Amino acid sequence: MIDVANAPTVTRPQIRIEGAVKSFAGRVVVDIDELVLGDSPIEGLIGPNGAGKTTLMRMIMHSAKLDRGKVTLRRGPEEDVEEVVLSDLPTHRMAGLGVVKSNQVIMDFEKLTIWDSLLLSLAAAKYEHPHRIFSEAPLFEAHAEEAREYLDFFSFADPTGFAQSAGEKKLLDIVRCLLLKPRFLLLDEPTAGLPDELTEKVMEAIRRLASEGTSVVIVEHDLNVIWSISDEVHFMAEGNIILRGPPQTIRENRTVVEKYLGEGHV
Amino acid sequence: MNLDWLDAFLLFGTFQVVMVIGLALLLHLQLGLARIANFGVVGFWAIGAYAFGVLFTKVDWSIGEPWPFLISMLFGTVVAGLAGLLVGWLIADLEIEGVLVGTLGFATVVAILVTTERGLTGGALGMGGLSFPFDIGKTKANELLWFGILFVVVGAIFYYVWRVHRSPYGRLLIAVGDNEPLARSLGKPTFQTKLWLFAIGSAGMGLLGAINGVMVHLLIPEGIGINVTLAAIVGLVLGGTARVWGAVLGVILTVGFFDIVVQSYLPLPRSWYTQAIPVLREMVFGAALIIVLLVRPFGILGDMRRDKLIRSTHRD
Repeated sequence: MIDVANAPTVTRPQIRIEGAVKSFAGRVVVDIDELVLGDSPIEGLIGPNGAGKTTLMRMIMHSAKLDRGKVTLRRGPEEDVEEVVLSDLPTHRMAGLGVVKSNQVIMDFEKLTIWDSLLLSLAAAKYEHPHRIFSEAPLFEAHAEEAREYLDFFSFADPTGFAQSAGEKKLLDIVRCLLLKPRFLLLDEPTAGLPDELTEKVMEAIRRLASEGTSVVIVEHDLNVIWSISDEVHFMAEGNIILRGPPQTIRENRTVVEKYLGEGHV
Repeated sequence: MNLDWLDAFLLFGTFQVVMVIGLALLLHLQLGLARIANFGVVGFWAIGAYAFGVLFTKVDWSIGEPWPFLISMLFGTVVAGLAGLLVGWLIADLEIEGVLVGTLGFATVVAILVTTERGLTGGALGMGGLSFPFDIGKTKANELLWFGILFVVVGAIFYYVWRVHRSPYGRLLIAVGDNEPLARSLGKPTFQTKLWLFAIGSAGMGLLGAINGVMVHLLIPEGIGINVTLAAIVGLVLGGTARVWGAVLGVILTVGFFDIVVQSYLPLPRSWYTQAIPVLREMVFGAALIIVLLVRPFGILGDMRRDKLIRSTHRD
């Protein structure tokens, strides 16, 4: 296992959320005054159902439009921080900035094989121009090794075929995200529907990524995953972050226990 | 050259079949891969033909052949492409119903403009003066050579489409058609992709329109009806929208069968030709479409098989 806490210090990208409000049909779902994500390598985001976790993530990705407020990405070395306002950008620009999110519900390309999915994820725009009808071979040459590593690591049954089970589709979704080489990775319930041994492998891959300088934020209902992987935990309820701290502190907090965990789960 | 063996109807019919195959192949990229239902094929086709015709016949060219002809061809192609860019920009983010109505409406606008802008297009009387850029003797010989040129152009379109299936661009188009939000989350500029696809497809359709205009010599508003769009769509859907060969097979089975076999070789009463046959054609096409969609919803050749393609292109 990789020791994330003692990994060499790197400047991690941060996401700053300011005055961000989102409501659906008049009901305020997220209302955050100020929140900075990315202080620690891996941050957990927990809270009861309907707390606004998924909506918050979609607001960061700008796949849900903010009613008001601003989401900013800060990256680069300490002395020369670059700020990009994510909430001004179209969704497809996020991946290019290194901000990537996995999907909570199963999302897949039904007509593309597993290999196709990985190559799609790996292909830079220069390979995908309409006139580049001979660029499959160079793309494959440049990236096949990388794709194969992931295929072997997660042992996909038949990579030239289509993703079959729900678990395989979920896993493929995460692998697509990892292949984008994210600098800031948001994971929305990455282990839901995955068998235990794959959950362990996904966590291993995420720890490795974090140790290499990527900031990871993970929403997860399986709290054992949260307690074991997070360096810091945010507790969200009624659209706002009401607590943040090390996993142990959050775990022992009375509010959290009453609101979310219930006695006996601690 | 003695071309007595060649039936003028057969040559003309085959020309139409190959031309519609070209349209269906371009439509295959839009509808079969990126799932954009372009019902305005004839609009782009007509813009290509008329833009070519206007420049070629109305301008007092001071340079010698073949330059005016080639420049006009290029002009027709580019103008159709620009029209595609404009229409694409309007429809790219609409739902499928919106795309359908938008493209259909666009084709109608083109048909109306062609009729009303008499100064440029000749209106209902038509626009003549479109001639071959060469003269190698008899009419039939010229037509055969022109058919050869069309065949090369459609062959090139086929090769392009075939390569697109085997390139990252094709994969991107399939991804956009399959799950656009997911493609976007992987950093793919889906709107731009659809826009350019529309522009390129329209330019190709415009070129085919100009080539067809030269073959028929006279452009008239009746020639740019919905039947051109239908021929391409029915052929493609019948053969299989998601397959490269679907366009070829489907168009041969529909347009080829009807325009060549039925019209030229079946002993039909003479009086049918002006009124009954065009209607009969639409009826047969419609019926064929319904039967195929009931029996084989993905067309005769079936759905795309990326797994087979991947295995054959990336054999380990």
